[in-house]
Amino acid sequence: MSDSEHHGPSHAGEFSDADRIKDVKISLGTIWDQYGTWAVTVLNLTIFFIIWEIFARSGAVNPVFFPTASGMFQTLFEGLTSRAPPDAIISGQIIDHLLYTLRTLTIGVFLACLIGIPGGLLMGGNRYIERILSPYVWGLASLPRIALVPLFILFMGFTVEMQVTIVTLAAMFPIMINAWAGVKTTEKSLIAAAKVFGANKRQIYSNVVLPYTLPFIVAGVQQGIGRGMVGVIIAEIFGGSNGLGFLIVRSADTFNSELMYAVLLLLVIISLSFIKITRMIEAYIAPWRQQVIM
Amino acid sequence: MNVAATPATPIRSNPEARPREPVIVAKNLTVGYKLHRERKLLTALRDITITINKGEFVCLLGPSGCGKSTFINAISGIVLPWEGSMEVDGKPVKGPGPDRAMVFQDYALMPWRTVESNIRMPFEFQDLGLSNKEIDERIDRYLELVDLKGFEKSYPYELSGGMRQRVGIARALATEPKILLADEPFAAIDAMTREAMQSELEQFVSKTGQTVVFITHSIDEAIILGDRIAVISRRPGRIKEVLDVNLPRPRFSGDVKSLPEYSELRERIWDLVKDEARSGAHGED
Repeated sequence: MSDSEHHGPSHAGEFSDADRIKDVKISLGTIWDQYGTWAVTVLNLTIFFIIWEIFARSGAVNPVFFPTASGMFQTLFEGLTSRAPPDAIISGQIIDHLLYTLRTLTIGVFLACLIGIPGGLLMGGNRYIERILSPYVWGLASLPRIALVPLFILFMGFTVEMQVTIVTLAAMFPIMINAWAGVKTTEKSLIAAAKVFGANKRQIYSNVVLPYTLPFIVAGVQQGIGRGMVGVIIAEIFGGSNGLGFLIVRSADTFNSELMYAVLLLLVIISLSFIKITRMIEAYIAPWRQQVIM
Repeated sequence: MNVAATPATPIRSNPEARPREPVIVAKNLTVGYKLHRERKLLTALRDITITINKGEFVCLLGPSGCGKSTFINAISGIVLPWEGSMEVDGKPVKGPGPDRAMVFQDYALMPWRTVESNIRMPFEFQDLGLSNKEIDERIDRYLELVDLKGFEKSYPYELSGGMRQRVGIARALATEPKILLADEPFAAIDAMTREAMQSELEQFVSKTGQTVVFITHSIDEAIILGDRIAVISRRPGRIKEVLDVNLPRPRFSGDVKSLPEYSELRERIWDLVKDEARSGAHGED
């Protein structure tokens, strides 16, 4: 119950009334409680990049492999705020490739949700569908999806469709398996309670199973985005002339370490943002699970 | 509470004096479960015959795993008889109905619903012929009864165990069922809170005259709450003996436990259950 002070009453005496709920006055302590972790993180990262800068400038490592932090940030900033000059070696700036990758990722994850969520719910809800589909789901889920990339290139060439397919396949299984697990693990006593209080099958599904499964689905989508991210970068590294994966390969080929590190940093930022956003969604739709997850 | 004051007018007269009007009638009831992923059926209760009368508070006492829960599940209609019959109000039980409500050991509150919404749930699932305004008033009244005013918008995870079970009790009582089923409702609640809640439940149902079937593995809880105690043996569960509790009510005045009848009854029950308890203690569960 570490969160108790933010959520009002918790461990409490039994003869309770509304008087027990009080507003917390804002003080230095409460501000620290709220923003302290942030402050520490910012300080921590600042120190990290300063040490990086000093180390890179000392000349201990060849700048072809290891750029200065400031150089990396500058490249990232310029790449995100300006478009490419027409005679540039690499066509397009970071922003163009970023948007391309995000588009592929979004379409792929969207398709993965479209297949994975209903698929998982059906597998959890119906024994026969489960028995028929589970060998394929487990088989494909356990196959490293990278191994399929050459196959899809063969089928579709170096196209957006190929990349989207890879993202969809990568993202689909965590989503499907999570939804499936959510339905299967729905607490029996909750279902029993709903039955006792007169719920029919449909009401049990919509009032107990679905709300119980919702946070599982969100967790599945969170994993799916992570896997999809890996998928899209790999697909772009394998072939094509667009996207952040392509940019990594090209920057390596042209010994542009600042650009490469900038793209890597960007990938970290994107991934963390996605995780943060899905966590927030999770906390919003399922606050009761927060104490378990955080 | 004034310990010296003996209860002048017992809220309930003793069970012998009341006119008997059968509400729950089990005849040679045998029920069980399908074992998960095995082609086996497990008999949980065998050949149970018992009649529970209107307004009676019956405690089912037995070690864990003896099939007590199965018995009230059979009353509630979640499980149906394999053999024999289970009748409520003269009609065979075919499924759950609004005349019966249950309080669960693990509260079984929907974690995504607020306190108020959890109590409202039974009204959403079944049409009890009440207008929205009447339902609101009902919920309000029972929130007050279980002393949860001000916590309507709280979520179960924000409440202590005792408070959560108050929500569970309010949810069961709000539909004003004829029969209240309770499956070890206070087992997970600390001893002090438990006594307070036992006393409140006793007072409440003695006012409404509801029929209560209450599962417990605590001998003291059974004696303090029950008009009758059915001692159940384990695996498969059978009724070993049904005992009348002829102690004056209310029984929370402290001196009830010092009455010779109390310790006599306690000893008799202990004799009945100790073999069961022993075999349970030796890891047969």
